[in-house]
Amino acid sequence: MDAEDYQPRPQDLGRLKDARMVVRVGLDYDLWLDRLLRQANNPALTRGQPGYVDASFAIALLEVRGASVGGEGGHAHGSGNPHYWLDPANAEIITGTVLERLMQLDPANAKYYEARRIAFLDRLKEKLGEWDAALAGVQGRPMLVYHSSWAYFARRFRLNIAGIIELKDGVPPSPSHLAALLKTMREKQVRLIVKQPFEPGKYPAFLAERGGATVVVLAASVGALPGAADYVTLIDSNVKALAAAMKAKG
Amino acid sequence: VSDALALLWLPFTVAICLVAIHAWFGIQVLTRNIVFVDLALAQIAALGATVAFMLGHAAQGSASHAYSFAFTLAAALLLAFTRQWSGRIPQEALIGVIYVVAAATAFLLVDRAPQGAEHIKQILTGNILTVSVDDLLLIVPLYLAIGVAQALLRRKFAAPAAGAALWWQDFLFYAAFGLVVTSSVALAGVLLVFSFLIIPAAIGMLYARRVLRQLAIGWIAGSVASALGLAASYAWDLPTGAAMVCVFGATLAVAGAAWPLRTLSSVKLRAAARIVRIAFAAVFAASGAWLMIAPRADQPLMDGAEFVVPGLRSAYMRDLEIEIWRDADEHAERYLRELEKLNEREAQSRWHGKALDDTEVRKISSFLKSYSEMRKGEQFVMREVRARARERERWAIGVALVLLGVAAYPFASRSRKVNGPNRLDVN
Repeated sequence: MDAEDYQPRPQDLGRLKDARMVVRVGLDYDLWLDRLLRQANNPALTRGQPGYVDASFAIALLEVRGASVGGEGGHAHGSGNPHYWLDPANAEIITGTVLERLMQLDPANAKYYEARRIAFLDRLKEKLGEWDAALAGVQGRPMLVYHSSWAYFARRFRLNIAGIIELKDGVPPSPSHLAALLKTMREKQVRLIVKQPFEPGKYPAFLAERGGATVVVLAASVGALPGAADYVTLIDSNVKALAAAMKAKG
Repeated sequence: VSDALALLWLPFTVAICLVAIHAWFGIQVLTRNIVFVDLALAQIAALGATVAFMLGHAAQGSASHAYSFAFTLAAALLLAFTRQWSGRIPQEALIGVIYVVAAATAFLLVDRAPQGAEHIKQILTGNILTVSVDDLLLIVPLYLAIGVAQALLRRKFAAPAAGAALWWQDFLFYAAFGLVVTSSVALAGVLLVFSFLIIPAAIGMLYARRVLRQLAIGWIAGSVASALGLAASYAWDLPTGAAMVCVFGATLAVAGAAWPLRTLSSVKLRAAARIVRIAFAAVFAASGAWLMIAPRADQPLMDGAEFVVPGLRSAYMRDLEIEIWRDADEHAERYLRELEKLNEREAQSRWHGKALDDTEVRKISSFLKSYSEMRKGEQFVMREVRARARERERWAIGVALVLLGVAAYPFASRSRKVNGPNRLDVN
């Protein structure tokens, strides 16, 4: 499912009514949450309260397009690429933001939360080295992606995204854009095309066939693929899938 | 050009095939007054494929096709029987109900499987740009077989008067149509298939009474529209399906506008010229009035004219204003280039050369923000300068536009003199 386009259910409203804290991705990624929060009308979760956590706080953002003058509802449209959690190094910042609020809301258990965070970061640190090694053969090799979801992931693992198939959300690529991508594939020897499970398969398959590449399906969020059960397995399964696909292509 | 041809010849061939079969069904559908039946059948086929997928069959496999077809047959049966109701309830109502229930059911099913969403979207949002030779090899024999069967049984299939048809004739019609639509929607998507179905048939029926003539006209119109749509999509970098649908719509508009002129006579030409002049008069007068009322608001006529001929601005802007405008425009362009350069540098650094640390990335971000704010500021200056100039000159320009409108208007006294003696010729 496309988390940017999530269709809330009645239970979600119930969950928000009883919740003491909500963590959102922010950066216009989960705009559907705004309406849900308004409807739930839970004072603990209003913007500015400790129960309202925007996880994008303090992240070094990529592809910032600038806030619009007098944007509506205080939203900074085009405030940056929202897929920042795909850089495992950002997990330290995100968990830091969340931990601070947890300690504020539930001081009695502060020690417990902190210990859990340290354990998580230790595990991640261990994994980071493993992932870097696994992706050594993919680094710098040009690839296409369906949507610009992989900027942070690419930055962390030094991947070369040579082209994006869908330039505007939900607008299919034009024939001239496809022709340009095919040219890029020829010139740069692109061997991989990355897409998410919910993204249309036709264009990647079309380009893969004509340009001699393989389509790799990666998960951009937990639960998008069966192997991506939690944060660590999310990154882990993506790294493995990429490395395996590149190895198969030689 | 060779790039374009390599990419577009296959979609064009497929479009011709789709136009050929859909024009025929379109004539049937228009005669039976069941315009949206293709959407309902396509959605039912998608539901069948979704059920197959949920039961563990491979997407696009033979089981998936079998389920699609079985569901379509069931819907065909339902549609054939419920035609008897059409005396009391329009059949379109039932078609609509089938469509929404099938769509909602598929949605509920897919909700249970995270990977299902793409699957169901894929069935309904085909894109003609990505068709393959295999697709062509599948649809050509299928459409030929259905076309030949339809031609042989034409009298049996041809739209009977309401109530006169036997239910099995209706069933065969819906089953054949379901088969066609299921395959075509997967290739071209719902919107484009609807255009293939209705527009060539409508143009054919507008200009001819006999079915073969209607078909011939529909085929020609559909082929021309397909070629133009594909060409426009390539030339102007537009999504193909949407571009083709719009060209099909424009083709229908042109055909409709030309319809009264199919038998040329001086009276008709004069009447057409009169309508055109009234339209011009209305646009000019309304634009002039709008400029005088709200000079700072969007002025569609002036904005459009200045977009085509930027020199028009110098007609009402003072030298200093033009200088400010140009300067702001140049700066806005420069900031955009800087933005692109910075983005490019950051994207490059992700894999090439020295990696940027978070502080450097933040620095770039704040530069990006500043540049885009500055660019917006320059654009604001351009808008403001123009608005002020228009505000100042609104009376002169507004009155001139209204006068132009008055001049364009074909006044009754003149046209009556012209029309009067001709009235006998019409009868």
